[in-house]
Amino acid sequence: MQLPRYFLADLPDRAAVTPAVVTEACLSLKSNRRQFLRERNTDSMVAAIAAIAEDWLDPNNPFRQVALAEGPSALGFSRETLSAGLDAFFRTLTVENLRALLTQDLGHNQRLERLSPAEVETYPRQLAFAQGPPLVAHITAGRLPNPVLTSMVHGLLLRSAQFVKCATGTALLPRLFAHSLREVEAKLGACLEIAEWPGACHELTDALIAQADCVTAMGSDETIAAIRRRVPWNTRFLGYGHRVSVGYVAVEAMSAFTLPKVVAACAQDVIAWDQSGCLSPHAIYVETGNRQTPHRFAELLAAELDRLEGICPRGRLSLDEAASIAARRGFYEIRAAHSGDTALWRSEGSTAWTVVYENDPRFHPSCLNRFVYVKAVAGVEQALEGLDSLRGQVSTVGLGASGLTEQRLAQRFAAWGVTRICPLGRMQEPPLTWRHDGRPSLADLVTWTDWEPGGRG
Amino acid sequence: MTNAAEFRSFAADLLAWIDEVEAGNNVADQFPTLAWRLFGLQSECVSTLRDLCRGRGIALDVLRDWRDIPVVPTRAFKEFPITSLSPDHRTAEFRSSQTTGRDFSRCFHDPESLAVYERSALTWFRVAQGLRPGDRRRVLVLTPPKAEAPHSSLVHMFELIRHEHGDEGSAFLAAVDPTSAWVVEPKTAWAALREASDGGTPVLLLGTAFSFVHLLDGRPAGQPPVRLPAGSFVLETGGYKGRSRELPKSDLHAALGKALGLAPQCVRTEYGMCELSSQAYDTFPGDPPAGQRRFRFPPWARAVVVSPETGREVADGESGLLRVYDLANVRSVLAIETEDLAVRRGLGFELLGRAARAEARGCSLMPAAT
Repeated sequence: MQLPRYFLADLPDRAAVTPAVVTEACLSLKSNRRQFLRERNTDSMVAAIAAIAEDWLDPNNPFRQVALAEGPSALGFSRETLSAGLDAFFRTLTVENLRALLTQDLGHNQRLERLSPAEVETYPRQLAFAQGPPLVAHITAGRLPNPVLTSMVHGLLLRSAQFVKCATGTALLPRLFAHSLREVEAKLGACLEIAEWPGACHELTDALIAQADCVTAMGSDETIAAIRRRVPWNTRFLGYGHRVSVGYVAVEAMSAFTLPKVVAACAQDVIAWDQSGCLSPHAIYVETGNRQTPHRFAELLAAELDRLEGICPRGRLSLDEAASIAARRGFYEIRAAHSGDTALWRSEGSTAWTVVYENDPRFHPSCLNRFVYVKAVAGVEQALEGLDSLRGQVSTVGLGASGLTEQRLAQRFAAWGVTRICPLGRMQEPPLTWRHDGRPSLADLVTWTDWEPGGRG
Repeated sequence: MTNAAEFRSFAADLLAWIDEVEAGNNVADQFPTLAWRLFGLQSECVSTLRDLCRGRGIALDVLRDWRDIPVVPTRAFKEFPITSLSPDHRTAEFRSSQTTGRDFSRCFHDPESLAVYERSALTWFRVAQGLRPGDRRRVLVLTPPKAEAPHSSLVHMFELIRHEHGDEGSAFLAAVDPTSAWVVEPKTAWAALREASDGGTPVLLLGTAFSFVHLLDGRPAGQPPVRLPAGSFVLETGGYKGRSRELPKSDLHAALGKALGLAPQCVRTEYGMCELSSQAYDTFPGDPPAGQRRFRFPPWARAVVVSPETGREVADGESGLLRVYDLANVRSVLAIETEDLAVRRGLGFELLGRAARAEARGCSLMPAAT
């Protein structure tokens, strides 16, 4: 399938993108929004998004087919990893889930149409109306598509025009999603722009920011800080910096009966998107005290990762990434030979997966691409001590626990500052209502009008 | 024979070979034989290597190729004393540059192993630079002197070169500042260069990449250009380590050539590290002036570029992780895996740089992704 040249990212000649072109594109987006989007209602947007998402789940969807054919070379994920990741993402975009998000964030799912009360009655009586920004600029980073596709869905729900500026080499999936929207509803496509340029092209980024009413940015903390400095004070700015995630397995989950399930769930979190997202675990903290030890957990996890490599292989790595893994393996092999407090399992003849067991709770960031630490701890307090240097930067904790233990652990991690807690196996599959980095998603984008109606006079 | 005597006997045979190489005698390649002999000794006497071999279940008699000798990653030198010397026999200690506090490699020597280090370093330096024993030049060094940097293997080597080949005007032209950083004194350095230039004295200018940036940035304005006479050359080594602005090596070399009046082939690069006793150079007498630069170790050290995926040597022209098998590493381990990426070029290699992501990136430096 040959995609038509519609978005800037479709152009073979990247030099064609100049500040004037970016400005022109932004003006067209705003004008198209006035014509096509402003009068749409929420229900019709929800229905359109849900229908497009459902179509993406169909193996015959031509855009999905292009994603799976070109994705492995463009993004470095295997076809199987991409397929599983796209399924997990698009499955969440149902009418029910989209409405739940609107209600959660805006209090009522008609509040984008008219002054409406909250679903839960407030006193004194107040009605509110929310409007999305006319033009949102998304400055994205990384090859993982979920964050940018989620941002695009938020923008669509709010009926904002959107300009998505992708990091070099990462535009494929946003492009395909935008083309799929355009195919179903050309008017929706006309309110979207996708472009790709290097972060160092400040004049292009500045042209974009100058037109935007709201700027969202993802990337390293330094990148976010640098972009933020370029955004005028009265333009809304939402930055999503670097976060890490970990798993935690309670001793109760280590029984011979539950252990295989917990290990399998944990392995899913490690292989999803080749561990390249902020929601992927760098390390799994495992409680001691059962006959099944954390060391045994690591051994089983290694066996499961090996099995999964045959089903859902890891993508190809750059020399640099592979060298990082090789260098770390060499080092941990020496440590393991020296002391029983460290052990190493690794794929033979490749860097496909690596498990390092350490009897040391101190967190050390993984080099990712299916390289995971398993750390023995006596309990949650020891894990939190090990994570202390990352306080405020932990996005997700995947729990292997149930019942009261799960509640107790969730409360402890929440109080410590973790912004999302979920069962192991679902770390890379946040619900649509997930509050990214602890912030509301739609509510952070809109501007409210509140009305306190007068008396009956 | 005791272990110490066996190491001594090995060192004597290696030194004899090094002498033959320096004399230009065409002797048979002794590398495989000596490598097996040294590995046999080291796998018994260096506890880290012994544990590694035991951990892998490696028996000496099942290895076929010297490339199969287990490598020790340079990072392991930061955590373990990788040496066959007992603590009371460690008379010298080299450390990698301390950019991050206590996180540095340590490499130990006794007088015998230090003598091998010096012989290896000096001989290959002379071969690469076309010097003969006894030749004297104006050796100007952009590092602090040995007394101020006692644990730097680089300064030790530069001091050796100054001692063996420097004339009376030779000098070290940097100091250690209160933050432990090496700081070039540009005024003194330029005065020394001008004096040599005016007097027609050939100069060997030695330093690290960042020290040359300090030199260039500190050039006094409004003075006539320095033109170093024939026989002069610049030897640059190492990275910037965040101690100066960073510019591509080709730009640095061009700027140095221009500032000092030297032809491109007179600006050369060394590749070495404290974990190695031999160094590689990218320019040798007889190399075509405009040919592609590639690093070459002496015959008693071998560079092997391996695929990080498989650990196997890559084909010529392909890139991978650099391993060095250095027979002059008598008292540590002969097989080292660096964190440097390189392209295999015949018996030599072209350096691509550090696999920086390995450790340099802290959490906040990771590639952007959410």
